[in-house]
Amino acid sequence: MRIIFNNLLAIYRKELQGYFASPLAYVIAGVFWLLSGLFYAFILKSVVDYASQIGANAQQTGLPPQPVDVPYLVLQSFLAVMGSLSQVILPMLAMGLYAEERKRGTLELLATSPITNWVVALGKWLGVMTFYVTLLLPVMVYEAIVFDSANPPASVWIFLAGHLGLVLLAGSILSLGLFISSLTDSSILAAMLTFGLILLLWIVDLLGKTIGGPVGDVLSHLSLLKHYTDLSQGAVDSGGLVLFASYIFLGLFLTAQSIDAFRFQRS
Amino acid sequence: MIEVEHLSKIYGSTQAIKDVTFRVEPGEILGLLGPNGAGKTTTMRILAGYLPATAGNATIAGFEVHTQPMQVRQRIGYLPESPPLYPEMTVEGYLNFVARLKGVNAGDRPQRLNAALTGCNLQDKRKVIIRKLSKGYKQRVGIAQAIVHNPPAIILDEPTVGLDPRQIIEVRNLIKSLADGDTTVILSTHILPEVSSICNRVAIIHQGEVVASGGLDNLMGQLTGGSTFDLEVAGNQAEIAAHLQNLPQIRSLEWLGHEFLPDHHHRLRISGDADQELGKAIATTLVNSGIGLYEMRRSGGNLEEVFLKLTTTELGASNLEETPLEEIPLATDLAEPEPAGDA
Repeated sequence: MRIIFNNLLAIYRKELQGYFASPLAYVIAGVFWLLSGLFYAFILKSVVDYASQIGANAQQTGLPPQPVDVPYLVLQSFLAVMGSLSQVILPMLAMGLYAEERKRGTLELLATSPITNWVVALGKWLGVMTFYVTLLLPVMVYEAIVFDSANPPASVWIFLAGHLGLVLLAGSILSLGLFISSLTDSSILAAMLTFGLILLLWIVDLLGKTIGGPVGDVLSHLSLLKHYTDLSQGAVDSGGLVLFASYIFLGLFLTAQSIDAFRFQRS
Repeated sequence: MIEVEHLSKIYGSTQAIKDVTFRVEPGEILGLLGPNGAGKTTTMRILAGYLPATAGNATIAGFEVHTQPMQVRQRIGYLPESPPLYPEMTVEGYLNFVARLKGVNAGDRPQRLNAALTGCNLQDKRKVIIRKLSKGYKQRVGIAQAIVHNPPAIILDEPTVGLDPRQIIEVRNLIKSLADGDTTVILSTHILPEVSSICNRVAIIHQGEVVASGGLDNLMGQLTGGSTFDLEVAGNQAEIAAHLQNLPQIRSLEWLGHEFLPDHHHRLRISGDADQELGKAIATTLVNSGIGLYEMRRSGGNLEEVFLKLTTTELGASNLEETPLEEIPLATDLAEPEPAGDA
């Protein structure tokens, strides 16, 4: 057990060190922070404008103003945007995880070291998750500053549930992206295939919403995006959490299997 | 220490190796020798546990490579064909990472790291980022990676490829020093002098099959199957041949040509049975008949000739172009020497 933990730590540390040395990581972080900051400012401004417009309308008509929960509206819109933005950058984070190891021949080192495929996959996943959460932290700080000054203050629980949803959505996509990356030695191909997978998730989500009936229910339940939307609205349900966990496990499982299959094909 | 029994590997319809069998004792260095594409890398990958064999088995330190992969992996150091390096890491950081992967205790790590760096002559490069190293240094980092956890068995796939002559000598000395203790080394190469200079055992692989294996000295004796002498003589060819053919010990006589020799001088190769004292008889005959004898030496104990003999039986001469064997004096080529155009 201690050995497994040490191995995991070795892979995890190596992955994190890799981000510090990787120009791609800096570019992704820069673009992510720039875009999320801009979107946040726009959304905040438009929601505040909307609220003051309602206030002005109320003054004109003389009726009592409709209550507007500004923090909630901001959080809703912003998390929707963050979900989309993440879906663009996640394939780029996942693409090199195994494809690069294959291309450089370092997979041969990992595969001949006393370490299981599971540990390698988990270490890599934890590494890339840490990077993603690091991307989210500054964004969460400026959200927190605004929500704290709101009157009445925003619900901490909705805030936390929404971001938990974001992390779980990213975890699922990264885990499946990890698997896709393990199938090829081309990073670009891995990124394209992961984008394809995300499109598929959208289609599942749309079908689930439109066709209805038992098939629609099943598709809705399988839709990562639906569960993400639920969480971002503060609706935590255990079924959704289990589904996210299953996607993450599935990705790691397939990755560990694909590395073995690739080496042990007796064709 | 390392036992390989009837190992075969089939990729699709291609048989990469077939019924490969050899063994290496503790402290020995085995050279896997063969032309490019003979199956050396496949054999080593199977030993390292990277590829499964289609049939047969291999054990390292008593553990079977397929059924006990973790035990085997703890006991081997492996340098693949291209060194498995992370270009963005420093030499030190990389070796530290590999040491962790291989399960070296945190307490032993600094000492093991120093030993590997010193052994591969990398002390002054420890803080350098691997991407910035030259090919020779990268190769050395690859070797350092294979020895950092002090494994009892080391598998090196073409360890001296891409090095300059001085580095080649350094690496060969390093490999020799590794095997001083109980460490067993398997290395592959298509460079013949490498085997004769560092290996105690050799297995010659050709088209996926081991065509010869054994101790280096032993193998030479067996394969040359007799004693052979190269001579430089002066006189009439027919006359010389007539005198020598009277000797009962002689099995064959071959004229090797006369370029770069004075007029009337000829090169001659004589083979006879190993158990007969051929040399004395030849010298006596030639001197007694008044033929000028300018040079006489034993030959045929040369690994290149053994190698050539084993790998040319089934294949056309064209296949030999891949192996660096130009310097070998082929009797048939030299009988009719080319005008000295390329000299």
